[in-house]
Amino acid sequence: MIVTVTLNPAVDKMYWVNALKICDVTQEEFLTRALRSTTSAGGKGVNISVFLSRLGVENIAMGFVGGHTGHVIVRDLRDEGVTTNFVWTHGETRANVTLLEVGREHSPNLINESGQTILPEEMARFMRRYRSMLNRAAWVVLGGSLPPGVDPGVYGEMARMAKDAGAKVVLSTGGDALTRALDACPYIVKPDTREHKTFGDKELTSVDAIVEAGKDVVACGAEIVIISHDVTGDIAITRDAVWEIKASVPTSKFKNLVGADDVFLGGILYKLTQDAPLEEALKFGLAAGLASAESDEKICRNMSVIEEEMKDITVARL
Amino acid sequence: MKVREIMTKDLTAVEKDIPVRELIFILNNAEMANVPVVDEEGRLTGFISEKDLIRAALPGYFEMLHSTSFIPDMNQLAKKLAQIADEPIERFTRTSVMSVTEDDDDLQAADLIIRKGVKNVPVVDGDGRLVGRVRRIDLLRHFL
Repeated sequence: MIVTVTLNPAVDKMYWVNALKICDVTQEEFLTRALRSTTSAGGKGVNISVFLSRLGVENIAMGFVGGHTGHVIVRDLRDEGVTTNFVWTHGETRANVTLLEVGREHSPNLINESGQTILPEEMARFMRRYRSMLNRAAWVVLGGSLPPGVDPGVYGEMARMAKDAGAKVVLSTGGDALTRALDACPYIVKPDTREHKTFGDKELTSVDAIVEAGKDVVACGAEIVIISHDVTGDIAITRDAVWEIKASVPTSKFKNLVGADDVFLGGILYKLTQDAPLEEALKFGLAAGLASAESDEKICRNMSVIEEEMKDITVARL
Repeated sequence: MKVREIMTKDLTAVEKDIPVRELIFILNNAEMANVPVVDEEGRLTGFISEKDLIRAALPGYFEMLHSTSFIPDMNQLAKKLAQIADEPIERFTRTSVMSVTEDDDDLQAADLIIRKGVKNVPVVDGDGRLVGRVRRIDLLRHFL
């Protein structure tokens, strides 16, 4: 069983507009009408859970939820066939807003809330429930930012607990939460470089810098490190090899980038749980991510579309 | 149809040592009328509902009289509830709990729900671990 953890999930609210009007003078009203909108459960672990469930993989989604938006998340996940195991909190789960201008969908505007503050007793309740789930977990995905009030060392603690229980750990986050979990030696590490192209104190501005940063993490004990190079390319570093995964797809084809990176990781996980070689997993993962980016739907469920995307992807050893 | 096809795959559950106050918080926020009680491994050990808490907070003679007309006001209930708020829920938990497995027929779950008059039935795996629940509405929406 795969267990995904999203401590700071969100309701993803997406709006498509013709043009986003930006006001620079004071006026009574300022209105941009949405052509259409969608609402869905979001957050790294949540997105991976939905993707896996759409491919028929049973999984459990865990984390914190609260208030009306918390119910939206739980309901959406259940409708997707994901098993839910969330701790209810006193606050309201955050909402993240994405604005997509028609014709410029490859450059979305994102407004992400920081999330509800988690109380110590809520964290204790979650850790207890997390521990009880580890006896059924073969893989544990720790994904996304940490909500206010949570110790940045928590992913390290959770990774160690999962490893002690015999599960492989996938870590996808950024900042302190990432660097402080590395000594727990997760199986897969995927730094979130959306906001800052850095890893610790290293700037990830070139392939060489990415490879060097990845090798440092592998030296810490991770098996696979995957770092985004650009929007259509990633680099995977293992103890024995460095792979460059690239897609020859114009960014103008992208309709919706939200969640595509999570689907990429979900696709890799999907293949690795079937004992596929890493090369095949990387190719499938990027194909799944591209298929999602090129569809209006946040997460692509169509296997034939994913397989078609694989034709445009190359995986080469560096 | 098998239970796995109709069940709600939710693992919201509590442990027997949490206080009544916490249980009320969970029932309220998760919008559930009852919740399974599990051990450290997630195995089903009991069941507790808002009805069990109300019964625990009512004066002892209420069960005999079956009428609220003998309760002068809500103060008595509030006072009793405040007294038990920090007590572990174990005292009020029902330990003889019905359950079905994912491979049972939907009829089995329906029979328990109808015959016993309960709102839902926990679903467990071969090791007795909670994997979901069948609610009355799950039966209704799948048979429509």
